[in-house]
Amino acid sequence: MTTTQAPPATDRVTSYSRAINEALAEEMRRDERVFMMGQDIGTLGGVFGLTRGLQEEFGPVRVRDTAINETFIVGGAAGAALGGTIPVVELQFADFLFTAADEVFHKLAKWRYMHGGQFTMPVVVRLPSGVVGGAGAEHSQSLETIAMHVPGLKVAVPATPADAKGLLKSAIRDPNPVLFFEHKGLYRIKGPVPESSDVLVPFGSARVARSGTNLTVVATGLMLGRALEAAEQLAPRGIDMEVIDPRTLVPLDIDTIVASVEKTHRLMVVHEASRTAGFGAEIATQVQERAFFSLDAPVWRVCGTDTPLPQDPDLEQACIPSTDDIVTAALALAAV
Amino acid sequence: MTSTHVPDQRTRHEHLIEIYRKVVTVRFAELRIRGHVEAEGFGGFWHPGIGQEGLQVGAIAAMQPADYLYYAHRGLGYAYAKGMDLTALFGDLLGRAVGSTGGKGGGTVHFASAEHGVLGQGGTLGSNFVLGAGTALASQLLGDGRVTVVFFGDGAAARGTWHEAAIQASVWKLPVVWVCENNGWALSARFEDQSPTPNVADRAPAYGMPGVIVDGQDAMAVMDVTAQAIDRARRGEGPTLIEAKTLRIRGHYEGDRQPYRQDQVQGDEIPNDPVHRLGEHIAVEERRAIDAEARRTVEEAFDAALAAPRPDRSVIFEDVWA
Ligand SMILES: Cc1ncc(C[n+]2csc(CCOP(=O)(O)OP(=O)(O)O)c2C)c(N)n1
Ligand SMILES: [Mg+2]
Repeated sequence: MTTTQAPPATDRVTSYSRAINEALAEEMRRDERVFMMGQDIGTLGGVFGLTRGLQEEFGPVRVRDTAINETFIVGGAAGAALGGTIPVVELQFADFLFTAADEVFHKLAKWRYMHGGQFTMPVVVRLPSGVVGGAGAEHSQSLETIAMHVPGLKVAVPATPADAKGLLKSAIRDPNPVLFFEHKGLYRIKGPVPESSDVLVPFGSARVARSGTNLTVVATGLMLGRALEAAEQLAPRGIDMEVIDPRTLVPLDIDTIVASVEKTHRLMVVHEASRTAGFGAEIATQVQERAFFSLDAPVWRVCGTDTPLPQDPDLEQACIPSTDDIVTAALALAAV
Repeated sequence: MTSTHVPDQRTRHEHLIEIYRKVVTVRFAELRIRGHVEAEGFGGFWHPGIGQEGLQVGAIAAMQPADYLYYAHRGLGYAYAKGMDLTALFGDLLGRAVGSTGGKGGGTVHFASAEHGVLGQGGTLGSNFVLGAGTALASQLLGDGRVTVVFFGDGAAARGTWHEAAIQASVWKLPVVWVCENNGWALSARFEDQSPTPNVADRAPAYGMPGVIVDGQDAMAVMDVTAQAIDRARRGEGPTLIEAKTLRIRGHYEGDRQPYRQDQVQGDEIPNDPVHRLGEHIAVEERRAIDAEARRTVEEAFDAALAAPRPDRSVIFEDVWA
């Protein structure tokens, strides 16, 4: 399933963080069982300001500041879901998935399965993710592939304000646990967002962000914008790139990617996360399984380096794909 | 301790009879499972709870049917005491489709019953602390009046999740009661060797909650302290840490030869046996009748589970997603 890029007439322009804030407020208004907890999300409104104003509207009972206890934030959310509520919790940085790993990868992902399907686990874990400029090796990672590897977790990676809002609303209404990777570097970007509170973006539906004919590029999060910029630079040079944003990695809309490859015959996956065993490897594999004879060239990956991220902002940028990197790789791949 | 804390209008003696009936049923279940493991085994480990049944049943006797339970891995006394069907529990152990997990079990497994508020257990020790606090948070948010009871061992008490859950539960005065079964051992590790305090309950004041020590072989005493803690939790005064002193009678799992242990309990003698302590208060005739009934219940349930089919392999793919 694919949606088009053109925004409906009722859209207005707002920021990615505002879109997330709106989704939270709308879903809390819609369903009293929805509540939030996390560090500094209440009185402060979140270290990135995402939850600003929500404690004022919903009170400190439904927008709760916790102690510094990630295992409780996630494990407590799991328990609260079993008790009949819908927790939407925030880890201050996506990297703290490792701090609460048992709770994320065992409790959220497997509780329903282990206990014979008697329970549902409607939990959303909001995860400020990716490089943001000098946050360092433990506050900057892109861990979505790790989440993708453990069955039982849905994984969202919104790249636009509209998708951030629509996917978060879907996530809150989903009976399954969702890891919601918000890119910190996108919080301030603006884009059209539907005015209506009823617009949801379904999981498992990729978006063709730019249609093209010569080369398919799959990109998520911060990389989507860079891939689109690269496409504009390449267009006058005769390379018409199709850019696809999967929007969710679990479930993954591989059909849209395969259909694109059948049209363009070339595929490149761009991601910020380290190259080895990233989601690019998975997409490359699935595409060659399904569309080997449509490919005119090997599938390439343009990815983050296989290193920790240095604290220095310049060095950090050198570790993740730039627009130039994407342009260079696309030119080379088109020539193969 | 008076009977004012017992959760309903039955007399104390009626409670004792009911607790005895459950304890002795769990005892026969323990012996039946041991017999099966010794004769043919099954795919998985059985962590016997024999000798600890009194405290498990006693604590759960203080709960209301709607209250929530997270149990530990030491036997099936908890789940049975909370009202689950024995055939379903045996079915889980034996990997039968009649198990509460639909046949994904084998050994000490994840019994669950939404209907009975049996919410399960985490296979990683200490997961129940944070989940239990979270479920209590849900009750506080929904105002449903339920209390969550969380069981754990003296070994699990060392997990960091205890610290994180206890702090939050205490700060928010969550309706949760923690019941530590201190049986002196965490696999091969002696409690004395791994604890900085003589008792687990000694740590409670650091979290701003009461710590209560009780003789875990005295089921009625465990019921009483648990009832008090549950009342307190339901009144909105927050969590309590109960430490029931008990003894691990068998190996960590059935078949563990315990080379690390000098104080092995020999034969079938259970020091300070909770069955006997309760039984002393019941007339001989009545007790014999309860025993016979319990034995029959266990035999029938075990046979029914044994005779039930194994699950189809398709269960592998069930319940990954809602
Ligand atoms: C996090 C974690 N660490 C280790 C284990 C392995 N393990 C299972 S039971 C056990 C001993 C537990 O001791 P205790 O909590 O005192 O309970 P008991 O077995 O004595 O009832 C160990 C080490 C585990 N399941 N989870
Ligand atoms: Mg122990």
